[in-house]
Amino acid sequence: MWLLDRSRRFVPVGIPVALAVLVVLVAAWHWSRLGWRDRHVNYISRPTGYTQIVNRFGQPCSAAASAISMPWRAADTGQTYTFRFHRKLGGYPTQMVSDKGGNSTNLDNDVFGHIQNDHLQPYVEHGIYGYFCRTIRNSSQWSTHAFGIAIDVSSAEEYMGKCNSTVNKHHASIWRQHGWYWGLAFCDPMHFQFADGY
Amino acid sequence: MKRRSLWLVVLVVTVAASVAAAVAVASPAPRPPVPPIGPMVPADTGAGELLLVVLGGVYPTRAEADLAAEAMVFGDVQGYYVAPVGQFQGFRQQAGLPGDFALVSAFRTQAGAESFVEVARGYGLPATILPERVRSLGGAYAGLGQEANPDGSGPLTGPIAESLP
Repeated sequence: MWLLDRSRRFVPVGIPVALAVLVVLVAAWHWSRLGWRDRHVNYISRPTGYTQIVNRFGQPCSAAASAISMPWRAADTGQTYTFRFHRKLGGYPTQMVSDKGGNSTNLDNDVFGHIQNDHLQPYVEHGIYGYFCRTIRNSSQWSTHAFGIAIDVSSAEEYMGKCNSTVNKHHASIWRQHGWYWGLAFCDPMHFQFADGY
Repeated sequence: MKRRSLWLVVLVVTVAASVAAAVAVASPAPRPPVPPIGPMVPADTGAGELLLVVLGGVYPTRAEADLAAEAMVFGDVQGYYVAPVGQFQGFRQQAGLPGDFALVSAFRTQAGAESFVEVARGYGLPATILPERVRSLGGAYAGLGQEANPDGSGPLTGPIAESLP
C-alpha cells in the first residue's frame, strides 16, 4: 500500500498499518486472558484407590486437605461460593492467584482460568462445594471431599443419581485435561475428583 | 610400586565414598508411618461424652424423620442422621420441640459443628447448634468422628477435654 505525501512522493504505509493492527490484536488477546497462562506447576499424578489417595494426599480431614480456599461465582444465580481444597491442588502464586501457600497451579489457576478464558463460565451453575469432612452419602466410607480432592459444580442441576449431564458437560474436558476424574461415570455429574478407583 | 598401590587405595576409597554420598542424597527421607485409619468411619456414638449437636429438625415418628432426611440432601456426601431424641440427655429441654426423632449430626469440637452449619446453610438447609453440650447415652450413630482433629492430623476419633464429663 502506498500513499502520496506532501512533496508528492509515494511512501509505503503497509508496514506501519500492519504493525498497528498487530499491536491492537496482541493487546486484545492479552486483555481477554487478563494475564492468565496455563501453568501446570507441580502436578501430582492421580491416585487410584484409597491407599494411593492416603499416600499422596494424607489422611482425610487433615489440615492440608482444607488448606487452600477460592471463590467461584455461579453464573445462574450470581452467588459466590467460597470452598476449600487440598494444598497439593492449588494455591501456588501466579498472575491470577495470590500466594496461598499451596504447591500447585492445578485448580485455582489452570482449571478455573481455562473455564473463564474459554468463555464456559455460563455453564458453572449454583451449588459449588469442595472440602467437607464427611462420608459418602448413605455410606460409612470417607468421601473424596474429606481429602480436599473433590469439587462439586452445578450441584443443583447436576444432582447425584442423574446419569447424564446438561451443563457440566461443557467444561468436563478441561477438568479431564488437568487430571480430574468426572463422576458422570457413576451417575454423579456434579462431582469432579482428583482420584479414580475410589 | 608402593606408591601405585597407595594411589589405587585412595582412588577406591574416594569412589566408594562418592557413591555412598550420592545414594544417601538421592534416597527419599523415610515416610512417617500412616496411622491405621481405614476408608470406613467407625460408628462411634461417644457414649457418656458431652457432645455438640447440630439440629436439622424434630419429627413425631421415625418414618417422618427418614422422609425428611431423604429430602435434606448435602450433594453427594452424608449430611444428617436420624436419631431418637432420647439418646441425648438434655436434648428435649434445649430443642424445645415436640417429637421423638431428630435429624442431627454430633460433634466434639465447636469448629466441627460450625463448619457443618456453614455447609448446610450453603445448601439452604436448616441447621442450629444446640446452645449447650448434651450427654450421649449411646444408641444410633449420629455422625461423630466426621470432623477435623484440632492438631491437623486427620479426623478426630476420640474424646477431647471439652467432651469429657
